[in-house]
Amino acid sequence: MGGAELGQIFVNAVLLSGILALVALGFSLVWGIMNIVNLAHGSFIVLGAYITFFLHELLGVDPFLSIPVAMVALFTLGWGIQRGLINQVIRAPLLATFLLTFGLEILIVNLINYFFKADVRSVTTAYSGTGFTLGSVRVPYIRLGALGISLVLVALLAWYLRATRVGRAIRATGMDIDAARLTGVKVATIYAATFAIGAGMAGAAGSLLSMIVPFDPTLGGGYTQRAFAICVLGGLGNVANVVIGAAIFAFVDVFVGARLPSLSRAVTFAILVLLLILRPQGVAGKRV
Amino acid sequence: MKKAAAIAGFLALLALLVALPRLVSSYKLLTYTRFLILALMAQGWNFIGGYTGYAAFGNVAYFGIGAYTTGLLMIGKWHVPFFPALAAGALLSALVAILLGLPILRLKGHYFAIATLGVAEALSQVADTWDSVTEGSTGIDLPLKTEGEFFYYTALGFVIVGLLCTAAFSRSKLGNGCVAIREDQDAARMLGINTTLFKVIAYALSAVFAALAGGLTAYQNIHVTPGDFFKIDYTLQMIIATIIGGAGTVLGPVLGAAVFQLLSTYVWSKFLELHPTILGVIIVLFIVFLPRGLMTVLGRKRQRGERPFRMSDLLANVRAHRVT
Repeated sequence: MGGAELGQIFVNAVLLSGILALVALGFSLVWGIMNIVNLAHGSFIVLGAYITFFLHELLGVDPFLSIPVAMVALFTLGWGIQRGLINQVIRAPLLATFLLTFGLEILIVNLINYFFKADVRSVTTAYSGTGFTLGSVRVPYIRLGALGISLVLVALLAWYLRATRVGRAIRATGMDIDAARLTGVKVATIYAATFAIGAGMAGAAGSLLSMIVPFDPTLGGGYTQRAFAICVLGGLGNVANVVIGAAIFAFVDVFVGARLPSLSRAVTFAILVLLLILRPQGVAGKRV
Repeated sequence: MKKAAAIAGFLALLALLVALPRLVSSYKLLTYTRFLILALMAQGWNFIGGYTGYAAFGNVAYFGIGAYTTGLLMIGKWHVPFFPALAAGALLSALVAILLGLPILRLKGHYFAIATLGVAEALSQVADTWDSVTEGSTGIDLPLKTEGEFFYYTALGFVIVGLLCTAAFSRSKLGNGCVAIREDQDAARMLGINTTLFKVIAYALSAVFAALAGGLTAYQNIHVTPGDFFKIDYTLQMIIATIIGGAGTVLGPVLGAAVFQLLSTYVWSKFLELHPTILGVIIVLFIVFLPRGLMTVLGRKRQRGERPFRMSDLLANVRAHRVT
């Protein structure tokens, strides 16, 4: 492959890793703090995409401006789901939360399908498809904007977990639930906040994805899998790990996709399984 | 007395199941055959997921291997008859499970789950791209067989054998060792249990059952494609059926498969469009109120001092698992 192609692959991978980091961010938080693999994460992404789509279609809101709306809506939904449902079963065996969130995924995706039909939609703005070129490498504006927003949200979450009372309580609960309770942390509320933040991040990711890829109600499942892979690659327990995992995943995905398009999923998963066997704690993670 | 009544009840149920093809339409029979095939898969998953406590999320891989091996042997140049082809599929599945199980059974919890999921995904794509053998996404066509009774009775036979196997397993050293691994793997190892060997055997057993179900479904459906035979829905169905019935019990998977299939068929006929939504709600309700399955309602033994099930136990389940 020539230098130009290599450059384009590199830029594509960098642009992709930003959005993937945001996709995996909430998933990683929920998994790391509460040991819940949230299979409904993808459906939150889809909801975010639909919110942006309808705000743009019906009210003419610029898709980038609808991101906060999607985040607030998903934050509220996430809070309700954790308080009302997941908190009720969280001490049951591991498979219980796994299946519960799977049930929620089916439920939400099919409700979306029922109300909005399975049509493939996309958000198209005046600046869709435009971009600039660096030498022979093309950089679309929307993807660049998505990268920027993803990085801002990643940094914001890292700051929030480190510097605020609630953020510290979240981390403390993840480290030792009993010790956290003894220091006066209301675990049920902190769990709800954690899940809500995770869902809010998924909503933002969905908003951004709606501008980048055409979507239908089933968009989310694939992104849940990617989030899972990214968490495994990067390891849990740290926002920076998510970014590292997302970058590795994006580079493997883009390179394999360019060379062996028909086997891209098999190769990506084979690498994932191999890595799981060799380094179950992730590339960057210490111990989970 | 109680035991005699239970055996009589069981025999009556068995007689009913044997006579069923005479009593219902051939379309209804298809639903019952599906229930039996689901029960077979769930019985298999129960070995690794129920007794051993490893959340295998890729058992559809063995369903697919069973389907493709059976199909390819039947249509290949030797025209192997159905049952030997099916046995070959089961054997190959067991081999693959042993080879894959050795590395991935070292992983725990979610990591094991995603590794098995990854294996299933990868195999699905291999079947999709390996044109010279599997005909890619077009799929392969098996010889036509339209007698619904054949599939029903074969599945019924397998499920009964599966029940006997599970009963023997749960009483054996192997089964008890697997339960010990589920409860505390380190303690089990300290007691002298060869944990790797036990886990691999349980995993291979689950693969054999999935392969039998896959081969049978392939012959019944005639047409085998990667999209149909490697889809994650099968994995999820077998897990849900096992959980609804009761993981780690002998009768649980079959009971769960019956409940799931009946609910699914009923909801399908009443609410076509909302069918998956309602199934989602049912899964959520089961996990919240009966996380250990229906067998906790039916399987209580008075001679062991367990009182009969009360409705208030549903709330007690919630109270036991919630966080405040």
